[in-house]
Amino acid sequence: MRMKYETPVIQKCQTGLMNKFGSCPHYSRKIRTGIDDVSIDNLVEKYGSPLFVFSEKTLRERFREIHRAFSTRYPNVTFAWSYKTNYLPAICAVFHQEGAIAEVVSEMEYDKARKLGVPGDKIIFNGPYKSLHALEKAVSEGAMVHIDHLDEIYDLEKVADKLGRKIKVALRLNMDTGIRPQWSRFGFNVDSGQAMMAARRIHHGGKLIINGLHCHIGTFILEPDAYGVQVEKMLKLAYQIEDQFKFGIEYIDIGGGFPSKSKLKGTYLSPDLSVPAIDDYAEKITSAFYKNLRPGDFPRLILESGRVMVDEAGYLITTIHSSKRMPDGRKAYVVDAGVNILFTSFWYKFKLEIDREVQGVNEPSIVYGPLCMNIDVIDEGCLLPPLNRGTRLIVSPVGAYNVTQWLQFISYRPNVVLTGENGKVDVIREAEDLLDIERRERLPEHLLLSSKSS
Amino acid sequence: MLSLSLRNSRAKNDRAISNIDFSKIKSQIALYTDAIFKSYSEIFFLRSRTVGILLFLTTLLNPHLAISGIISVLAAYIFARLINMDQKFVNSGFYTYNPLLTGLAIGYLFRINLLTVFFIMSAGILTFILTVMLSSLFSTYFKLPILSLPFTLISSVTYLASSKYTNLFVTGLYPNLTPGILFFENYFPFWLAGYFRSLGTIFFLPYVIPGIILAVAILSSSRILFLLTILGYYTGTIFTGMLMGSYHNAFMDINHFNYILIAMAIGGIFLIPSIKSYILAIIAVAVSTLLVKSMEVFWLNYGIPGFTLPFNLVTLSLIYVLGLVNYPMVAKLIKSTPEETLDQYLSNLGRYGGTKRTLSLPFSGKWMVWQAFDGRWTHKGSLKYAYDFIITDDQDKSHNNNGTNLTDYYSFHKPVLSPVRGRVAKVVNSLPDNPIGQVDRTHVWGNSVIIEDERGFYVAISHLSRDLIKVREGDWVERGTLLGSCGNSGYSPQPHIHIQAQVSIEIGSSTLPFSFVSYSTETRFYDNDLPTENTAVESLYQDKCLDIITSFMLDDRLTYNVIKDGQKTGEITIIIKSAPDGTFYMDSGKGKLYFGKYEGTFYIYSYEGRDENLKSIFLALPKLPLAYKDGLKWEDRIPVDIVATGFKKRIVQFLSSVYGNLARTSCTFAFLNNKTIEGNVSARILNIEKKTRVELDDYVGFKSIKVDNLELRRVKNEQVRG
Repeated sequence: MRMKYETPVIQKCQTGLMNKFGSCPHYSRKIRTGIDDVSIDNLVEKYGSPLFVFSEKTLRERFREIHRAFSTRYPNVTFAWSYKTNYLPAICAVFHQEGAIAEVVSEMEYDKARKLGVPGDKIIFNGPYKSLHALEKAVSEGAMVHIDHLDEIYDLEKVADKLGRKIKVALRLNMDTGIRPQWSRFGFNVDSGQAMMAARRIHHGGKLIINGLHCHIGTFILEPDAYGVQVEKMLKLAYQIEDQFKFGIEYIDIGGGFPSKSKLKGTYLSPDLSVPAIDDYAEKITSAFYKNLRPGDFPRLILESGRVMVDEAGYLITTIHSSKRMPDGRKAYVVDAGVNILFTSFWYKFKLEIDREVQGVNEPSIVYGPLCMNIDVIDEGCLLPPLNRGTRLIVSPVGAYNVTQWLQFISYRPNVVLTGENGKVDVIREAEDLLDIERRERLPEHLLLSSKSS
Repeated sequence: MLSLSLRNSRAKNDRAISNIDFSKIKSQIALYTDAIFKSYSEIFFLRSRTVGILLFLTTLLNPHLAISGIISVLAAYIFARLINMDQKFVNSGFYTYNPLLTGLAIGYLFRINLLTVFFIMSAGILTFILTVMLSSLFSTYFKLPILSLPFTLISSVTYLASSKYTNLFVTGLYPNLTPGILFFENYFPFWLAGYFRSLGTIFFLPYVIPGIILAVAILSSSRILFLLTILGYYTGTIFTGMLMGSYHNAFMDINHFNYILIAMAIGGIFLIPSIKSYILAIIAVAVSTLLVKSMEVFWLNYGIPGFTLPFNLVTLSLIYVLGLVNYPMVAKLIKSTPEETLDQYLSNLGRYGGTKRTLSLPFSGKWMVWQAFDGRWTHKGSLKYAYDFIITDDQDKSHNNNGTNLTDYYSFHKPVLSPVRGRVAKVVNSLPDNPIGQVDRTHVWGNSVIIEDERGFYVAISHLSRDLIKVREGDWVERGTLLGSCGNSGYSPQPHIHIQAQVSIEIGSSTLPFSFVSYSTETRFYDNDLPTENTAVESLYQDKCLDIITSFMLDDRLTYNVIKDGQKTGEITIIIKSAPDGTFYMDSGKGKLYFGKYEGTFYIYSYEGRDENLKSIFLALPKLPLAYKDGLKWEDRIPVDIVATGFKKRIVQFLSSVYGNLARTSCTFAFLNNKTIEGNVSARILNIEKKTRVELDDYVGFKSIKVDNLELRRVKNEQVRG
């Protein structure tokens, strides 16, 4: 067989000694031939490329591991699946089967949860924008509404009047836990006394009953201690509210924000080293509970974890469409999946795995998406061996946020499949076609091209 | 009945303030008559006003007798009011049936005139004083009732005294034969007439006619008691007859009423009615024949009949001995009839398992029972009452990786929570966690915390991790207080929690049986039980939301529309009240439903009165876990009295004394969601199959209770908190 011609380039040689890439960068490569015993070849053959693949096994294992970490430390724990992280019905259903309730932040998500069969009383309704109509629907179906601002108190009092009964609600809080940036735009501030004032206002109104507190200190929090501070402040406030206004605080919702094992751009250490184990978070949170709870009191601890549950269960299979050599000598590949369907590429440096054994020395490479846009870069600097056209790269972890934040931009969104625990592969979202894109589009008659020409 | 009229009168007071005096007088009269009639039925161990009235009317067969009895009770009653005795106790009839018997005894001998009235009154008061005193002494020192001992003593005393009261004899003595009372005497065979006569003698009417009336009264109230009167009488009499050689004479002896009383007391009242209690009753009767005859010989020398002395002696001695040997079938709660006592006992047997040493599981989440009581490795001999727990994963492994490091084990460093409330009595906190593969044979128990439970035992938790123990000796801990972390100190091949109840503060002292409260295996809830080895159990700590919903407060009023087949048929208001013993109950005006919370479970304990609506609440929610888990299921067994009515119920309750599981109700309940509970109540023999559904309110109590086509739907009521 004739060797393929390539323009010669000069590469700096590095020894196998200590260096920032770990051991032997020239020949180390990650190979993945299948996901949950289903081969990549079969998947692509049947469902095309690019292709999102979710592993049911990983989803369940991850949920159980995280659930066990908390439930074996605190006797009253509930997980709420954060819909915005991934609201494909199949994914939500897996978590609901495992016992999670739903956490939604919009009327659309609320409707999605209801359609999936989640009863109203198992839905937490969060977010700074809830229309009066949405509030009324949620309240009448028994949803747990978390109040974000004073105006929402007025709205809910209106709903209470209309329904002719008192409504149980929770207060969303924000506070300084030592994490920067401090998320202070949601809920009522604890440190300034705003939260207590809101409670007083609610008590005074006499139409709402505070039965829970909620706070979400941020996202991708790498410092477990921050949650300890959060829990302490929340429980102190809870008892203050109980003592002063005689409300019974039934649950403490500490939000989510646990990181997944993904590498943030600009970080040096690998996530295995930089991301604390879920047990560390559980330990800090539950010890803060034991330290601050009154004897015999076990309010429900609610966690709204999203990313940490789902991220590692998602893979994106892409195929190399072409390669080129950049002016600076780096190798560049164009693959069939771009930032439009891989939103998290803006802040993650993904793990790239190759679907087969490949010969040759690794070289600095760039992976571009297929869009005709300069920003469409999947990885701007990685070490890859020379890859032929048609080779597949498996990008992970991609389970969180991508299938909710993705854009339909100049192309169709691909199939999403789930490799089931039973070994079966199911399509959980079909690839789009032109009909999907144009279904809602209308062309006024006078603009019809055929009519113009006639 | 008494409480019913009490409440009725109270309700009337509330309604008609202008009529307050009238209703007060009326209620007072109701109270007095109630107390008097109850004294009559108490003689047959019954607490029914109706039976009391019937018995009173029977005594009217001899007016002197009847009036004498009434005078004696009234004298005692007025005396009790004079010395400010608590009305509640006097009204029960418990203290006044002895004076009544004394009155009857005197009336049997003397006709009513001014002189005898004084005589009766003084005897009545004396009996009453003796009753109060003896009953206090007996219950304090012997844990025994006094039965009719005061009556026997005082009647003997009055009979003795009267022999010296010549004046009384001259004016009072009369032939107490009411005309016509002997009418039936010769129409019955001697063995039947003897039974009726003996029965009549209990009310000093040793004739067939009153005997028949009394037999009917007993039969109508309790089939079990009626059976026992027959068993007792014929056992005793036939036995005596054999010894005497003349059955005719034996059946003529009216003193054989003692056999009837003994059989009733032993077989149906103080023991749970069962084959065994019937056998014990027969034995008691057989041994009492000695006493009856010897007494006749001895006592008659002094001109006194001996009254109920044999009954008192035999019954009291036997109950005392049964109590001494901790005989399990001694009735702890004596209801108004043996049938009810039995029903309650059987239902309690099915409802409340476990022991009284109730512990919460000492951890959070789902753990596996590694070793239970009488385990295969170390829980043996005096150390057999202990449990070991570990955490396992879906593959039943207790560790991830290869399990060579302590940190591989899921249980390692998981929180250990206090299973009881009490004071920390001892803490050992000096031993290292052994690496996997090594055990500490010297300090077998490892680091331990020993808690002294208020109820008089100790709980030890062992193999904790050094330096992570959070409590010190002398600390007060509640259920669920963090004690420390699971470790691998002591004789521990892998990190686990060892827990035992024990007799003393010492490490390794003898263990005691105990049970766990409020836990689940998969989706099955257990309120008080023992999980078996290799089952995964999850501790359920009280959920604040359910706790708040079931926190009724005194004077809470809950109004419900009663809806039958979709049509409103009425309305009931339930008021939360508290009984003298501190138990809370729901009062609907027509009945009472006793309820309470015990270690993580809400229970409806018992029901009394006549209110189908309250019964349906019992039926739909006899037990409610105060912790929520999706699909959580539980079982229960409710009394036959709640599900069945009429003739069928009576037959089944009677036969239950022979075969306890005959009318077993099988009740299963499950959470449909955190506000809805669906249940199924069935009893095969009764051909009952009921579907129940309860919707809990958002704030307090239930929004709706549904049993088949009957629904109670809450009416918005401003008098409820929330």
